[in-house]
Amino acid sequence: MMDALTPKDDISQVVILLDANPYFWGEKSSRGANRAETTSFTFDRFMEHVLLFINSIFLLNQANRVVVIGTGATSCAYLYDSQGIEVAANARSARAVKKQSAVEKITQKLEDFVAKEAVCDLNQGMEDTRYSLLSGSLSMALCYIQKVLRGPPPHPRPRILCLQGSPDAPPQYIAVMNAIFSAQRSLVPIDACVVGDQTSAFLQQATHITGGIYQKPATPEGLYEYLAMVFATDLYSRKFLQLPGASAVDFRASCFCHKKSIDMGFVCSVCLSIFCKGQRTCTTCNANFAPNKSSAAAQKPKAS
Amino acid sequence: MPNVRVVSRNFMEMVAALPAAKLDDLYESPWTCQAVVRSLPPLAKQYVLRLLFVEAAVSSKSMQDWALTDALNKHRVAIDKLEQLRVLIDASERKKGDSYKLNPKLQKQLQEVLRTGGGVPREALPASFAARVPSLADLDNYATKQWEAVLLQLVSTAFTEGPSTPMNNSLAQTFQRAGLITAPKGKEPPKITDAGFQFLLMDTNAQLWQIVREYVASAEDRAMDSADLINFLLELGFLNVGEPYNLNSLSPMQQNVIKELAALGVLQIQAGTKDRWFIPTKLATNLSASISEGSTAPSGEGCVIIETNFRVYAYTTSKLQAEILRLFVRLEYQLPNLVVGSLTKESVSTAFSSGITSDQMITFLTKHAHPHAASKTPVVPETVTDQIRLWENDRNRVETTPSYMYKDFPTEETYEAVVNYARDIGALLWDDPAGQRLIGRAERHEDMRNFIRRQSAPQRR
Repeated sequence: MMDALTPKDDISQVVILLDANPYFWGEKSSRGANRAETTSFTFDRFMEHVLLFINSIFLLNQANRVVVIGTGATSCAYLYDSQGIEVAANARSARAVKKQSAVEKITQKLEDFVAKEAVCDLNQGMEDTRYSLLSGSLSMALCYIQKVLRGPPPHPRPRILCLQGSPDAPPQYIAVMNAIFSAQRSLVPIDACVVGDQTSAFLQQATHITGGIYQKPATPEGLYEYLAMVFATDLYSRKFLQLPGASAVDFRASCFCHKKSIDMGFVCSVCLSIFCKGQRTCTTCNANFAPNKSSAAAQKPKAS
Repeated sequence: MPNVRVVSRNFMEMVAALPAAKLDDLYESPWTCQAVVRSLPPLAKQYVLRLLFVEAAVSSKSMQDWALTDALNKHRVAIDKLEQLRVLIDASERKKGDSYKLNPKLQKQLQEVLRTGGGVPREALPASFAARVPSLADLDNYATKQWEAVLLQLVSTAFTEGPSTPMNNSLAQTFQRAGLITAPKGKEPPKITDAGFQFLLMDTNAQLWQIVREYVASAEDRAMDSADLINFLLELGFLNVGEPYNLNSLSPMQQNVIKELAALGVLQIQAGTKDRWFIPTKLATNLSASISEGSTAPSGEGCVIIETNFRVYAYTTSKLQAEILRLFVRLEYQLPNLVVGSLTKESVSTAFSSGITSDQMITFLTKHAHPHAASKTPVVPETVTDQIRLWENDRNRVETTPSYMYKDFPTEETYEAVVNYARDIGALLWDDPAGQRLIGRAERHEDMRNFIRRQSAPQRR
């Protein structure tokens, strides 16, 4: 554990969670087209910046590893793993795959991923497509990191970088928080760079709890500058460099019953579940809140 | 005494020592640029990345603001290193060191690398050759065998009267230049030096780098351009391990280099009916990998178990491992896959007298620990490490300091004044008021002499 707290070198394992929600990016580019803006920040431009960033990480240290996980509206998938061994049908295609650069591999996988997303969506009918499956990709990233940390030493220092565009998904509140706490437990910082319009309360809390960096670039067109200046900094160098600190963090919780963000609510005295209205029994742990006595004794209002 | 850890880094210092124009020429090659950046301290790397797309000069003040106030030391080290390697160029108009910008050649190459994602320096031969290329495991074995053969030649000078097998000539020269073995005097065979003993205990990366360094240092003698050589060596590190590359397309100078590197196990040369090609081994990747500061490349499986009763068991078939252990362990018996010995005062003292330090021994034992032993803390039992250190301290009971003795003072006052002065400037080692004598450190002798002159001057008047 001491090792993890004081990294001795700058070898990093960066897990990038790429928001590839087609609905979010589609809406963004169509809005840009309506306003006849030529400078709108489309997915293509976003990817240019991200690919440049990935190459920068490889430039810093030959032992650096990068994993890219795509976050869609209905599914998540590994898009790229710098350690990955490609499974190919025969030796010749294996050699061909080996020759591909990271950029080619990622773009190819990304196309497959978006195509699959479209099929998934048709089959599953209407889910709320505005949101990306952040909880899913966070969990995948943490699983991957656990696998690395349990592998043979020396371990690179892992960190997660969320490139989030779509707004927070209240239904995922519990899952996201669980992922954040397990990241905190395994000392994995979560960095977040929000390229969408809204600030993300989830990611603000994630970075605050795990000691990562939260940034919402004022001009998404300059995304690479933010990525190179702030998010490329390895954990060793972070001890010596001035980095943007946490601004005001939105600590509001979401209630478990309607998944709404609330300022004030009720907390179950047994399992600490949060509700926006007083309940007779806790829906999470089935605790009975003694209905015949004063309900205030069992249900305390929770201040934000 | 050469420090074990800095040896591999010294290579970049050698690069930094090249004349400015030559250094700038080096940055024409994207591979050298990448290798140089990766060799920098972590903070300096971040600075390079931050400046990569900045065309204008950046004032040193604003760069200083990047670092936290209590990390200014690290900041200065990083900037110094960047300046030495001419990665940062002084762009100030008035005062020196006012503002900096990135070396434009390096900047251009690195931007290109980021856009294209690097790739490999040269095309591998077509897949039709793939069938004749040895498997990765075979290649690893080959590399290890070659490298061990090189080291065994060095070890052989330590124990037998002369090398049991005549030493490879160019290798012997390199060893001599590096000061690892003595130069042959007349008929006397070369003997291993203190530096040579220490060299044996380093890890493979450091060893390889020291050899390569000597090789480059002597490049001019052999009518090779050292800049070209550095470029080519760094480029080799970026080739894919286990893929064949055409040898005939290289320049004669490069072909020569390849042949010498093949003797070290860095490459394997194969020849077909028409073509010849070379295959980089895992040692080749070290050429670009191990120069980065502070990074520890994964070493091979260890095999040594040490018990609290000073017994040493090494599960190895390698003759080299046994020979190296023999430097400071009394070997008791050898089985086909096991070497058993014990650390005794005699065996360790012999090692001390050949210039090996206790730290080097302990680091070696820790690094080569058997996985079972490595999972415990401490890896080497404390009783053993303590005892090795105590044995070393035993040897250092007497300390020598170069010094001067002053006596025959004209008066007691002068003597007192001189003693007091010596005490004040920290030069006094010993004084004898009865005999009016004192002994002072040699490095303060000038001060002492001046003071004594001034003391006696007024009396002469």
